[in-house]
Amino acid sequence: MNFPRVGNGILGGVLDRGVGPLFLVPALLMLVVLLVGPFLYMVGVSFTDLSFALPGHDGNFVGFENYRRLMREDPVFWQSFGTTLVFVFGVVSVEFGLGFALALLLFYHVQRRRFVLTLLLIPMMLAPVAVGLMWKLMLHGEFGMLTHYLRELGLLDPQTALLGNHDLVLPTVMLVDVWEWTPFVTLVFLAGLLSLPREPFEAAVMDGARPWQVFRDITVPLLRPIIALVLLLRGIDAFKEFDKVFILTGGGPGTATELISIYAWRVNFRNWDLGYGAVCAFMVYLVVLILCAVSYKAIYWTEGRAVK
Amino acid sequence: MRKPWRMAALATLVAVLVISLTPYLWLFMTSFKTRLDALADAPVWLFTPTFEHYPMVFLDKGYLPMVGNSLIVAGVTTALSLAIGVPAAYVFARHDFAGKEDLFFFFLTTRMAPPISVVVPMFLFFGYVGLIDTRTSVILAHSTFNLSLVVWMMRGFFADIPREIDEAAQMDGHTRAGMFLRVLLPLAAPGMAATAVLCFILSWNEFLYALILVAFESRTLTVGIPGLVTPHGTLWGQVAAVAMVATLPIVVFTFLVQRHLVRGLTFGAVKG
Amino acid sequence: MAVAFRNVTKVFPDGTVALDGFNLDFETGEFVVLLGPSGSGKTTACRILAGLEPATSGRIEVGGRDITDLPPRERGMSMVFQNYALYAHKSVYDNIAYPLRVRGVPKQRIEGRVRDTARLLQIDELMGRRPGQLSGGQAQRVAVARALVWQPEICLMDEPLSNLDAILRLQTRTELKRLHAELKTTFVFVTHDQEEAMTLGNRIAVLKDGRLVQFDTPREIYHRPASRFVAEFIGRPAMNIIEGSVAGGVFRAEGLDLAVPDRSDGTAALGIRPEHILLHRSPRDGMQPFHLDVKELVEPDILLFLSSGPLSLVVRSKADLANLDDGAEVYLELPRDRLHFFDAETGLRRP
Repeated sequence: MNFPRVGNGILGGVLDRGVGPLFLVPALLMLVVLLVGPFLYMVGVSFTDLSFALPGHDGNFVGFENYRRLMREDPVFWQSFGTTLVFVFGVVSVEFGLGFALALLLFYHVQRRRFVLTLLLIPMMLAPVAVGLMWKLMLHGEFGMLTHYLRELGLLDPQTALLGNHDLVLPTVMLVDVWEWTPFVTLVFLAGLLSLPREPFEAAVMDGARPWQVFRDITVPLLRPIIALVLLLRGIDAFKEFDKVFILTGGGPGTATELISIYAWRVNFRNWDLGYGAVCAFMVYLVVLILCAVSYKAIYWTEGRAVK
Repeated sequence: MRKPWRMAALATLVAVLVISLTPYLWLFMTSFKTRLDALADAPVWLFTPTFEHYPMVFLDKGYLPMVGNSLIVAGVTTALSLAIGVPAAYVFARHDFAGKEDLFFFFLTTRMAPPISVVVPMFLFFGYVGLIDTRTSVILAHSTFNLSLVVWMMRGFFADIPREIDEAAQMDGHTRAGMFLRVLLPLAAPGMAATAVLCFILSWNEFLYALILVAFESRTLTVGIPGLVTPHGTLWGQVAAVAMVATLPIVVFTFLVQRHLVRGLTFGAVKG
Repeated sequence: MAVAFRNVTKVFPDGTVALDGFNLDFETGEFVVLLGPSGSGKTTACRILAGLEPATSGRIEVGGRDITDLPPRERGMSMVFQNYALYAHKSVYDNIAYPLRVRGVPKQRIEGRVRDTARLLQIDELMGRRPGQLSGGQAQRVAVARALVWQPEICLMDEPLSNLDAILRLQTRTELKRLHAELKTTFVFVTHDQEEAMTLGNRIAVLKDGRLVQFDTPREIYHRPASRFVAEFIGRPAMNIIEGSVAGGVFRAEGLDLAVPDRSDGTAALGIRPEHILLHRSPRDGMQPFHLDVKELVEPDILLFLSSGPLSLVVRSKADLANLDDGAEVYLELPRDRLHFFDAETGLRRP
């Protein structure tokens, strides 16, 4: 008998012969051409003196000279690396604490949380550039709304602008990041809390645990994979931070907020020192790759557990 | 729950919402303020709105084409990432082959890659092939980082469809391709819509790639806004107007995809 | 000491009425079974007693003290959950020790109590394992150990056997009886399985639609069901119910006439258990013929599905009748002392 088959043709033939993985090819091709290729090219460039600014530096092989320079002769790189670490640890820990607390608040005390949650998410969905501008406006030294009220309350010296002060600028920028990304932490934790089974909590209550014991002995251990995930995702993202800080301060004043991404941008696209810039960019990549490998484990850890 | 606790919770929540939303509200108000109101020493909350900034910046200053660029870049990026990413996600969800998980990890790393490290080689590469300052270059750049998002999210959505559906479809006489196109894709459609919206948002909001890869005609909105900020006096009304246009559609989209946001932003590790 | 539900009503936010003026009184030390079909409110009753669920109205009393508003930890009750609800991130030892730890019991005493309880439940070999590495039966024992380790006054069990396979369920049943005899702890056991209820409880509370319909010993419930519902719910195969009417000392239904001399006139539902019907191969005085439709062998018994006109009856008899042919004619005797009469409208038992 001959039944007509549905969805024949080349596609069907290929899939039916068990070569489905072929459908990965376009995706892989794209990544190889646009990502791996250029990346390898960049690694190549990192061994040259390529520069668009200096005459005669048109890509001569210099061996590990750029790497040596990074390690030995570039305190600015290491300073920006340090600034970045302060930024990352600062924002991630504050966002983690606030976000978790807020998630617990929503979970236990708010019934109609969908609408509230959507409003909370607005900061993180806005273009980071817009976030930067928004806060630049709020924090403007002369007519910034927040500046004005802080001065009214006596919390800020009339001569000082938060974004112009060498000591205050980094904490300020970090607070803007906290404002932007705390909702993300809340969102993920809330989803995590909602996905937890009810029974262990009831069992603990029946076993006689008080609320704080339930939190310590049940909630936190069950959320541990999510905690790891949030820390790593936020850590990686904070490490890559560019847009918002670039708009807010451009890395300044001086180099007070020059995060590693901004420094790499300056070397490449202001100084046009591409050989050396390639090394900087490569270093950023390396750190993220390490964090990424760890987070991948964390994600798999999550999937293999009760939390799905 | 006892009353005082409820009140405290409610008060905290209101405070958090006020802090979250005030800056955006302020931006919105500024976009309708006259220069005088915007630069007043004491913040002005009540004012007679002016509508001059929007036509001024979009028509007279030529920001309208940037909106077009942003739309084209985000739209084409979304279509391209889905076209390439969805079949790949299906393969990851339903086929087993050696090295699958490692390949998957590779996809993850491309998403995590810091833009600054990727944009440098891309800049050199697009310069080499003569695509600098074209929308194509931005589209390709955005598609590479969105691709893994699509693969990660869609793999999850496909995996949510029980395998029995596949088997039933095959027993009903579908080929695997027929099954994919006529059974699985429709079932995954809501997830795909959410993925598409998220792709669009990320491309629309993206700044660094666009900043480096395009300079003039192909500038997107995000790259265009900082151009209004100058050391000698920024026209904040106009900046706010552009920023509003650049963000309001996204806020609307956020309401649409909220349910799937968690999965998209955690690489499928947490379901919303 | 008495445990009492006083007019407890529970309405869920979606409007479902789970308990509707529920009353129940029992003594500590008993093995009480809450039995009912799904939706009867038995689990809700258990959870309200535990304090996991607030009652919409009514009171819970223990020893005359109102405990309605007490949090679970102050009620002196423990619970075994249907899916055991073990802490996946803790070892078996830590699972069992947890109730003692949160109560601040000194470390040395915890050690001893946990060992003793584990030995009682024969799980001392498993102490280092994680719940994920346990079989269903082992996990169940751990859950019971955790509920008994701190010697609560009352141990609540919400369908604890329903996730076990058939053989294990039977073994565990016996085990629970042994535990109860040994510990004298009050057990409140929720189930929808009438056989489980009959074998376990020394008293069974039958629930229907959020109300108590009968609270009695298994024997009473079997022999004197308070209503048609209880009669049909207890015993397998279910009691035969024949609707008809009594007139002048004779019960008449389509396909059956039966002399019931001391019954008053009126419509009634007559019930008789399949195992109480006597079967004869030849006619006796006043018996009508029935035809054998189907037979099912459940060694050492046989179930015979018989009909006479529109009337169908099930008879449970000895398997030596297995050679009866389908369509064979048999005669039934319904012993008068085995008959149950229920009100045709209310379904309540008539004395």
